[in-house]
Amino acid sequence: MLTGKQKSIISNSAQWVVIISYSLAIILPLTYAIMRLEAVTGVSSIESIFTFFEQPLTKEALRFTILESLFSVALTLTIGLPLAWQLSRYEWKRIAIIRSLLSIPFVMPSIVAAMGFLALIDQGGPLQKIGIDLRGESGVFTNISSFTGLENPGHFIALIIAHAWFNISLIVRMVEPTLSTMDPRWEEQIKLLPAGNTRLGRVKNLWMPFIGPAIACASALCFVFSFTSFALVKWLTPNNSTLESLMADSGGTAGIYNYRIDTSEIVLSICIVQLIILVSALALTSRLQRKHSLRHAMVSESSARRSRGRPTISAKIIVSVGLVFTLLPLALVTISSFIVRTIEDGSITNDFSLDAWKAVYDGDNSTVGLQEALSNSLIYSLITLIFSITIGWVMASSIHRLEKSGNNKLAKIVDMISLAPLAISAVMIGLGILLGILRWSPSLFNWFLIPVLPHILLTTPFVVRIMLPAIRSLDSSFEEQAGMLGLSPLKIWIHSKLSFLLAPLAVAGSLTIAFSLGEFGATWILVRSGSWDTLSILVDQLMSQPKFNPLIYPMAMASATVLMILTFILFLLAEKVRPNGEGSGF
Amino acid sequence: MNLKLFAIIFILFSSALSGCLEEEILESLEQECVTLPAGHEDDGKLRILTYDVLALNDSMIDQFESFTGIEVEFIKETDSGGILDQMMLTKEAQQADLMIGLDNSYLQTAIDNCLLRETLFTQNPQYDNISNSALEPYQGKLAIPFDQGTVCLNYDENFVDGENITVPTSLWNLTETQWNGKTVFPSPLSSSPGRAFMLATIDYFENDGDDQTDAFDWWSEMENNGATFTSGWSEAYETHYTGGYGEYTVGHIGDSHLTVSYCHSPGVEAFYSSNWTHSTSLILPKSTYHQVEYTGIINGAANVAGAESFIEYLLSNDVNTMMPENNLMYSVLENSSLPETDGFRFHSDIATQNAEIPLERIELNMELWLSKWKTSTQ
Repeated sequence: MLTGKQKSIISNSAQWVVIISYSLAIILPLTYAIMRLEAVTGVSSIESIFTFFEQPLTKEALRFTILESLFSVALTLTIGLPLAWQLSRYEWKRIAIIRSLLSIPFVMPSIVAAMGFLALIDQGGPLQKIGIDLRGESGVFTNISSFTGLENPGHFIALIIAHAWFNISLIVRMVEPTLSTMDPRWEEQIKLLPAGNTRLGRVKNLWMPFIGPAIACASALCFVFSFTSFALVKWLTPNNSTLESLMADSGGTAGIYNYRIDTSEIVLSICIVQLIILVSALALTSRLQRKHSLRHAMVSESSARRSRGRPTISAKIIVSVGLVFTLLPLALVTISSFIVRTIEDGSITNDFSLDAWKAVYDGDNSTVGLQEALSNSLIYSLITLIFSITIGWVMASSIHRLEKSGNNKLAKIVDMISLAPLAISAVMIGLGILLGILRWSPSLFNWFLIPVLPHILLTTPFVVRIMLPAIRSLDSSFEEQAGMLGLSPLKIWIHSKLSFLLAPLAVAGSLTIAFSLGEFGATWILVRSGSWDTLSILVDQLMSQPKFNPLIYPMAMASATVLMILTFILFLLAEKVRPNGEGSGF
Repeated sequence: MNLKLFAIIFILFSSALSGCLEEEILESLEQECVTLPAGHEDDGKLRILTYDVLALNDSMIDQFESFTGIEVEFIKETDSGGILDQMMLTKEAQQADLMIGLDNSYLQTAIDNCLLRETLFTQNPQYDNISNSALEPYQGKLAIPFDQGTVCLNYDENFVDGENITVPTSLWNLTETQWNGKTVFPSPLSSSPGRAFMLATIDYFENDGDDQTDAFDWWSEMENNGATFTSGWSEAYETHYTGGYGEYTVGHIGDSHLTVSYCHSPGVEAFYSSNWTHSTSLILPKSTYHQVEYTGIINGAANVAGAESFIEYLLSNDVNTMMPENNLMYSVLENSSLPETDGFRFHSDIATQNAEIPLERIELNMELWLSKWKTSTQ
């Protein structure tokens, strides 16, 4: 019979095995990729920072990346905060559906988002019809360009709107729960005090201290995602590159001895500079989230909502506009899947047709059919779910345990490791995995599970971010009380932990599956096995083909529609699992 | 800050270890080609390294699998250059048996780096049915042509006719004001047609009777004349070019009236638009490049027999004569042509005199040319 101390040692050791394995899965491919690039180029990582600033191409990409990231954060806050505010203040009838709908953009494959936005800003599209020509950049955009000296301002604006669309749920999901769980009495009480008798005073003395950390945390993550944006940049601002897209363009030829050394130099220098910037941004996120979690869960969300009553007209208008903004690009993608062009004597007609759906189902113009791609996607995402939830939970528990035992420095390091995949370029991880496998275990190269590794690396940080605040807010007295009832260890665990963590687990699970569904194997692994093509790869494969054949584009949109519907269903299920929709934050 | 310290330690750590890889550099130095043992396990599957070659669709592969009983698995790259990159990267342990899609601007690099092994298909009677034009760039046993086309400039007839612009008779005409900001080129650094056209310009300017200027002076002038450069063919043709199908797709910008594509692209446009197109080719002697795409057995293949079977299948009359419809490229078989349906053949232009640059010269100078191109267009 094991003593309590022995059990604790075994449990701690198991946790450390998981943490170390996860750390190695991130650090080894990256280290090996950097070592190989240094060996190929003869330039050290430190020297590569200097070479970065000697190249006009990389300097311009850095300038553009920082500019678009900052503007994207600003616009995301401008749109997201009013939405989060209104959503949190009232008793909405279908809050689960509204939240699910608002969350879809965040997990959409970026290529689908790009297509939705291209349809929105297209010549003849909805925006151009109301006089906003972001694609052709006519009218006011010509003046903006000549006034600011900024080339392609229309494309730039389209990109930051798309980034805002993508990240809006980050703001809503992080700020709304904090607001909706605040005790309404606080607000009433501060109005009676001198510090809160004006609106500005209440913003300064109540709201900002209360939601400020959540806003800052969401902004930092929004900055990271905009900074590493790739597909949206490629399609929406075709004349500009971010550091990530520049690296992806050069990634294919990097790391090969005596061959295209120039690309290896570019990839190495960008990787190091990007790493430094993103590690700083994520360190800030981690710090802010610690602060944020201290102010979490003040009262029951449903009772707070009830006390504020039904939404006002203006709240309904703001949320409706937010939903239209969210759904319009997606609706355009779905509509596009049914429209096939026909040209007769030089005049074009767009006919409603199911031909593209039939063609994509049969696998015409692709290596797999829709059904096979769908089942591949589901298999990958379920495997990812099992690993990510386990690893994420273990890491979050370990961080909490370290914090509780006063080992804050180690807790911070584990916390940072959990976030590391977000700071490291997908291209570098892919390159490292590929080179590592080829060097040490070539037989693994074609193993169908290899693409799961990057999926796990990508989704685990989100599981940790969702589970950590929930684990921190667990009341340890429940565990003690359950122990006193003489329950078995399993029952104690179920009643004192699992039952309280079901809600965040549902969110983490749905997010993990959705991310895995939308993940681009091609950008991560650098190679892909056509027999295991997933839905998002099918979309990319079709979109990359010449579209002389009028069916190709609607076929891609049909695949994207299936992906969207699947994602929506998953989020809706997660919302249903969660009791009363409580604790919706990431 | 712990985190910054961690990042710095990490960078220093990886710098210190880079020396360990020097032995890899020595190993990678060129050696005489020998047939390598299988780089991966032979499990009976045929692994094909390719890009998204349109002809390799589900039904075509199903047919091969049911004929031969060999299961096919793909390793996919984004384009022809990606195939070479992948073979170079996996040189020590090749993971595919057959490559499909390397073109003649990349082939010699693959040959010089011993990435391919000989095929028996040259002894197959069907090999004699391959046209001379397809065999012109390369006739050895390491690679077999499976499709071909001619890369050339395409322009929008509506722009030239509508603006009353004279059709260019020299590439220098494109550096004139009337073409300012109206041309788009896929980059030779990342696009296969882009690379083919850059090669064409080298031969064009070497034979234009002017010793004072070369191709890179022209590229520099094009940059000064507001030419747009894109990473791939799709971005140039679909997003910027006004003469092609791009105008019917989302995301079309339509700011360029001349781009690089194939001389038969107007034919493909017409084929899918009921015999109608306003795109045409600019046929100037030596400004076109005959591109041949190859298939070949990878040196380090495990399933050589399966690879031979697939080459045979790909070059069979039934499959190869359908290249125009299924792959939007010419077949390599003698006496095959483009279909006449919907003006495919009628609108496909024929080059008069292609640029001629031997494969060995391409391999010897490509890095230098790419570097010069980069400098000229920055």
